[in-house]
Amino acid sequence: MITVKNLVKDFSLNRKQRKELGDEYKNTKTIRAVDDISFECKPGRIYGLLGPNGAGKTTTLRMIATMLKPSSGFINVTGFDTVNQGQNVREQIGFMTGQTALYDRLTPTEMVKYIGDLHGMDKITFQNRKNKLFDILDMHSFADRRIARLSTGMKQKTSIARTIIHDPQVMVFDEPTSGLDVMTSRAIMDLIRSCREEGKTVIFSTHRMGEVNQVCNDIAIIYKGKLFYNDTLDKFKSEMTQPTFEEEFIYRVGEA
Amino acid sequence: MKFLIIAKKEMIDITRDKRTILMMVAVPLLMVPILMGSMMKIVSSQAEKASAKQLKVRFVGEEHAPNLYQAFTEMDKVIMLNQIPIDSIQSYIQEEFLDAAIYVNPTYSKDIAGNGQANIQIHFKGTDSFDIARDRIKAVLKVSENQIISSRMDRLNIQASVVKAYEIQYNDVASKQEKFGKLAGGWLPYIFIIFGFMGAMYPAVDLGSGEKERGTLETILSSPATRLDVVMGKFLVIMSAAFLTAFLGLAGLLIGIQQISEIPPPVLTLINEIFSVKSIALIMTLVLPVSAFFSAVLLGLSIYARSFKEAQSIIAPLNIVIIFPAVIGTLPGIELNSITALIPILNVSLAAKDIIAGVINPFFMTEVYLSLFGFAALALLWCVSAFNKESTIFRN
Repeated sequence: MITVKNLVKDFSLNRKQRKELGDEYKNTKTIRAVDDISFECKPGRIYGLLGPNGAGKTTTLRMIATMLKPSSGFINVTGFDTVNQGQNVREQIGFMTGQTALYDRLTPTEMVKYIGDLHGMDKITFQNRKNKLFDILDMHSFADRRIARLSTGMKQKTSIARTIIHDPQVMVFDEPTSGLDVMTSRAIMDLIRSCREEGKTVIFSTHRMGEVNQVCNDIAIIYKGKLFYNDTLDKFKSEMTQPTFEEEFIYRVGEA
Repeated sequence: MKFLIIAKKEMIDITRDKRTILMMVAVPLLMVPILMGSMMKIVSSQAEKASAKQLKVRFVGEEHAPNLYQAFTEMDKVIMLNQIPIDSIQSYIQEEFLDAAIYVNPTYSKDIAGNGQANIQIHFKGTDSFDIARDRIKAVLKVSENQIISSRMDRLNIQASVVKAYEIQYNDVASKQEKFGKLAGGWLPYIFIIFGFMGAMYPAVDLGSGEKERGTLETILSSPATRLDVVMGKFLVIMSAAFLTAFLGLAGLLIGIQQISEIPPPVLTLINEIFSVKSIALIMTLVLPVSAFFSAVLLGLSIYARSFKEAQSIIAPLNIVIIFPAVIGTLPGIELNSITALIPILNVSLAAKDIIAGVINPFFMTEVYLSLFGFAALALLWCVSAFNKESTIFRN
């Protein structure tokens, strides 16, 4: 379970950034990336966070994963506060982005072991979990090859394995299919679905409307840091005034 | 204890990086002896060439100073080129066809016979770094002058003590080790300071900004490891690399010295006595905090940088900053005292010089340790605070 209440995130701007942003920000010292948003992600459901680039999705997910601290408001992940109980939160989550984000000089086995060790997994639990994941993802043939020499698909499988090796209760996916081919994207979408089937809490950010339709139960639309839609996907569909998801999204963002 | 897990992984990671291994092991262990050996070979072959060289001399006025001319013709490896016209002498010297021209005044015999001073001019081109031509000519003139003075004193019945009032005896209490340490000891810390810095540079860039560039930083930040664990794990590995590189630089230097056949055996024995296990161990205790200092500073800068390239461009100019105090330490007259013992890098250079000379003052040594560990701790605190700053970590 993830509970987000009145979340705000301000970033301070240096002179160069103010100049780049134009006259509007000439006298502003901070920029608001996330502006008073609240939502809840429930176990066994997939919560889709939709928004164009720069809307505040990554900032929100990074705050959930304790990488960034909120300027105000609070986030609770499986009963732990992200600011004061960051380590407990991180023990419960699996974080995955579109970038494969692996260490090229390690092997998939070493990569997964590293994350397992950081999560304090004992040897037997780790071995059983690793074998299970490597079976499911068909990774045994390249388990001891350096990651740098693997294909994109193999790297993505390694990335999946390292994200879920510690069997986290909460999964955070930040545009996980960005830049990936159709086959690899499908593998990721399957993973997201399987997480729901296992009863995990899943939050998933994307700007691809098709993916939302495929897997999400609940959706939120975020734009310029503000949340202006937050309900079930079914309700969203029933309220649609435009023929397609994409057109509806553009229409709603335009309304905002 | 999560920092140990991080350190273990980072160690595996950097030891598989060819660039780091090259910089950490191959350069200090192979390049130093090869460079030293080649440099000594070049220097000695040049010196040999210069001393074996036939000196080409034009003597002007041999009819006025036949004895002196005779002394020059009897010189070893000399060609007297008296056929060169007088007005061409300067251009011949300029073009290095002629090594020197000796001009004797027509009044030479009269001046010498009258107990006066004869004027002798020597023309040469002073670009020969060994000054071989000048030195060899000077030696012949000195012998001739001594003979004249001696015959004058005999003629005038003057004792040698009349013109030489003092019989000075210098009794140097400095041991050979001390002299060697003060003379050559300054260059040793120069080697391990540079190598310590170089050894820390690549791992720091790789483990800091490299992590940002690969996008793996989020992986580690979303793990249960704290930021302190991450910094400490990385810091330990960078420090070990710096320490090992500095040690191998020192080892490379010692291996290089053993390979140089031009070093006379007594000097080699002295060097081997100086570099005992004890003095090397003592020097390495200085390398440890200085490695810690470099590692913390470089990791902090690397974390700040957006990319590998930016980190390299920030860190590369620091080479000059590091070299400067290390070179100052090699200058004569700069000694380890209560003030210089507090200045990082310079204090390492000076303390190592005193360790080699065997005259290290325990009070100053303690001060050096306190200063180095203090600066290393400050640098590490700065590095941890940089890692905790969102604006640094997510500067992209």
